[in-house]
Amino acid sequence: MKLELKNLSHTYEVEVLHDLTFELNKYKSIAIIGVSGSGKSTLIRIMSGMEKPTNGDVFINEMNVNEEAYKKKVGFVFQNHNLFPHLSLLRNITLVLEKTRGKTKVEAEAMALKYLNLLHLHDQTHKLPKNVSGGQAQRASIARALSIDPDIIFLDEPTSSLDPILTHEVLTAVEELRDSGKEFIFVTHVLSFVRDFADYVIFMYDGKIYEHGLPVMLDEPKTNELKEFMKKVR
Amino acid sequence: MDLNSTQKNKLNNIISYTLAILTVLAFMVFIVLRQATDFSFAPYSEYTSLISKGFLNTIIVSIISLLGSLVLGFILYLLSKSKIKYFNAIVDVFTEIIYGTPLLVLIIISAFLIGPAFNTYNRIVMGTIALIIYMSPYMKNVFKSAFSSISEEQYMAMDLFGFTSYQKYRYIIIPQVIRILMPPMMNNFSLIIKGSALLNVLSFNELYYNILLAQYGSFAYVEGYILMWVLYLIITIPLSQFSKLVERKWSL
Repeated sequence: MKLELKNLSHTYEVEVLHDLTFELNKYKSIAIIGVSGSGKSTLIRIMSGMEKPTNGDVFINEMNVNEEAYKKKVGFVFQNHNLFPHLSLLRNITLVLEKTRGKTKVEAEAMALKYLNLLHLHDQTHKLPKNVSGGQAQRASIARALSIDPDIIFLDEPTSSLDPILTHEVLTAVEELRDSGKEFIFVTHVLSFVRDFADYVIFMYDGKIYEHGLPVMLDEPKTNELKEFMKKVR
Repeated sequence: MDLNSTQKNKLNNIISYTLAILTVLAFMVFIVLRQATDFSFAPYSEYTSLISKGFLNTIIVSIISLLGSLVLGFILYLLSKSKIKYFNAIVDVFTEIIYGTPLLVLIIISAFLIGPAFNTYNRIVMGTIALIIYMSPYMKNVFKSAFSSISEEQYMAMDLFGFTSYQKYRYIIIPQVIRILMPPMMNNFSLIIKGSALLNVLSFNELYYNILLAQYGSFAYVEGYILMWVLYLIITIPLSQFSKLVERKWSL
């Protein structure tokens, strides 16, 4: 994908992203890493078009991320699965397909089942989110993101609320999507996953991009900030 | 006989509740025996239709008050969310005044002062309005907690998928709000039913008032109060049990 940040800054109460300008081309799976509060979640939300930046622009594959047409091509997986709690896993997907993508009931159900199967959830389809494990809910959320056939899938710390075993379960499911033809931008603290799945890494610190490069950069950090980060996160 | 631990728990539950109910019944019997030597409901047989009319009226006026307070409570909720400060202030002041007012006082003021000020002398209507007004801040709170339980992230997801406003409310927000709202709303309904007994001061033919009338005729005061008590429980206990069932089945 082609990624361009132009003078991007964002402010909540304080400025969390400071005047980012950055360009990247041809990578298909980009990891964003950094400590909490470094602005990585804000960046991924802006790149997905979910949040409008205070200043500057983001273009992905030549499209401004604030365009409605762009949002239709984006899938997003939240930290906590964020499924609609009153709907079954299946209905969480079919509702989106029927109401926002104009599919018929039959088409929607077929597609939903296809993606739920892909994420190994075929025997959980009629359960409510509260009645499945955190890992299963998160996988259903990934199935929901996939079902709208997005070009790019964003994952914002998809395993931060899961224990190591469920984390492994979810990340393995994501790795199986490598050949799906989708592009990925994700935030995570699981460095083994970054090494396995990312083909480019962006390290953020205090609202700025401190280092970026191929995943091997994790083994030879150039800045003290990345060195410190690598010590804390294994 | 071998019982597993869930069965044991269940049995233990049944025994405990049966004992608890028997304890309360024993207390009631004791109270009754202390009051009258010749305890009998027989004098009330000729007042059956009067009492059932009161029973029905209590239910009707409570349902009307429930619906009214839901509507007014929702309006208050919207006003409290408004960007116009004046509306927020009105809701706050109103809520504070209602919280500080006994229902009985509110009923009398609205029937004898507020009603006549607007040339309305129908005390029953004004009494019902008082009940609606009294409950509306509580209903406002029910709406407030129900709507606030839908997370910011759910709204983000709805936006991202591109749901229209109508679709958001129809398929995602309202179905969740109703589930969350049901149990506290039922509790308020119970408050309304009990509160409606105070409408007897306006000579409205609800359960309390009609039993008072029957007491004047039959002179069986003790039996009348017991009857009154039991009849209110016949409405409120199934309601609260139903509310618990809904809470278990529908919780998110």
